[in-house]
Amino acid sequence: MKKLLIVSLILAPHIPVYAADTPIVGNVQTRCLITTDTNGVYGNPLPSKLSTTASDGGVVPVIRYDVTLADAYLAKITTPTAFSTSPTLTDSVTWTGSTAVSKTSDAGMSGYEAAKVTYGSTTQFDLTKAGSTWFSSSSTAVYGVSKSFVGGSYTAIVLAECIAK
Amino acid sequence: MIRLVVALLAIYATSAHSEYLYGLTGNMAGTGHTWGMNIGPSGSQSLKINGVFYQYTPVKNTEDDMVVHVRNKRFGTNEYIFSSKDDWSGLQGGIPITRGFIIDNLPIELWGDGSIDIEGTGSVTDANVVYSYKYNNDCLTPMSDPSCSGYTDAVLSMMGKAKVDGYDPLGDENIANVMDEKVELEEDLEQDEDEGDDRLEKILSSVDDSVLSANVITQNLLMFAMSHSGNMNPYYDKKLVGGEYKETVVLNGGELPDNKKGARAGLAQQILHTKMVSMQYDPKE
Repeated sequence: MKKLLIVSLILAPHIPVYAADTPIVGNVQTRCLITTDTNGVYGNPLPSKLSTTASDGGVVPVIRYDVTLADAYLAKITTPTAFSTSPTLTDSVTWTGSTAVSKTSDAGMSGYEAAKVTYGSTTQFDLTKAGSTWFSSSSTAVYGVSKSFVGGSYTAIVLAECIAK
Repeated sequence: MIRLVVALLAIYATSAHSEYLYGLTGNMAGTGHTWGMNIGPSGSQSLKINGVFYQYTPVKNTEDDMVVHVRNKRFGTNEYIFSSKDDWSGLQGGIPITRGFIIDNLPIELWGDGSIDIEGTGSVTDANVVYSYKYNNDCLTPMSDPSCSGYTDAVLSMMGKAKVDGYDPLGDENIANVMDEKVELEEDLEQDEDEGDDRLEKILSSVDDSVLSANVITQNLLMFAMSHSGNMNPYYDKKLVGGEYKETVVLNGGELPDNKKGARAGLAQQILHTKMVSMQYDPKE
């Protein structure tokens, strides 16, 4: 009896405790994907002007939105209002820009252009159809009042966002 | 281990056999809104279409109804093997549309002419239709695989294309002569009974020649048929009847006694043989 008691005391700390933390894992698939289809390039048709227009020697950047869920997202694209990198500038820069639908994967998306909303340098599109839509954003920067840009490399950013409705 | 090696070899052989090459066509709609499907490298076999991509710009007024069909007919029918419809009715034109489709490897033989058809008011510009395809070169030589089209013809061609002409007795000059002379003979028979024996022999001789000739031709045809029995089909169609083939010969046990009678005969022959051999050494008298 004495031996049995001792054995029981030894085993006592090893009796498992019946409790557990159970994780819940969830994954959300991306239903709106933004891809840079074409990088933009500034042409320099005048000493005071940088432009992405093809006739000015530039390349218009193209952004593609892939949406797998219809009528759930807004495409919000903002053209540049400042250089992200540039030589030191001592005068103001005047920015203009616009964004338009350049290609679609569904005939029904052709209405995006007419229904777009523009405020400031931002253009907003209602993505009512599932599929791919290509947007092109033009950008022009004019330095001072016919003042020549300082020599160097200039970079500006187009901001593309996909916002759930 | 051996099984693993065999399995790997089998997998390698299978993958090697089904190694595909891939390609893209140019713009099939470049010169118009209809096109044929002569695509892929010349001579390539087993070409399969696995994708269709198209782009065009609709030209229309927003209020107009317009439906654009990009499609391919199923070869030899009025049905379509591929058809995509874009309904531009009430929508503005001017914005290019780009679409891509994955096709389930449909053989090129099924694909008829392609077209861009428009219903309603409007048109399309800058049309671009591209097909992606895959193919293998396994059948560039049709004899490389019995499944290749033209395999049988290629085998027969290799074995020698022999022109087989049957024997036509009516076309035999000898027979014709015999028939002509027989008619004449019947007419003259009554008048020339005495001279008929010689002519009859001559006619029979000609008939013998024809029969001999026919036999030769028949023999040649028989030899031809035997030599061409190497048709490959039997090699592939031959099947062994399944089942169990049981032993039917039964040996009864027991003693097999010596054949004393045979032994005596053999011994007598041996004695005689020895005697004959020894005779050559006997001193001549």
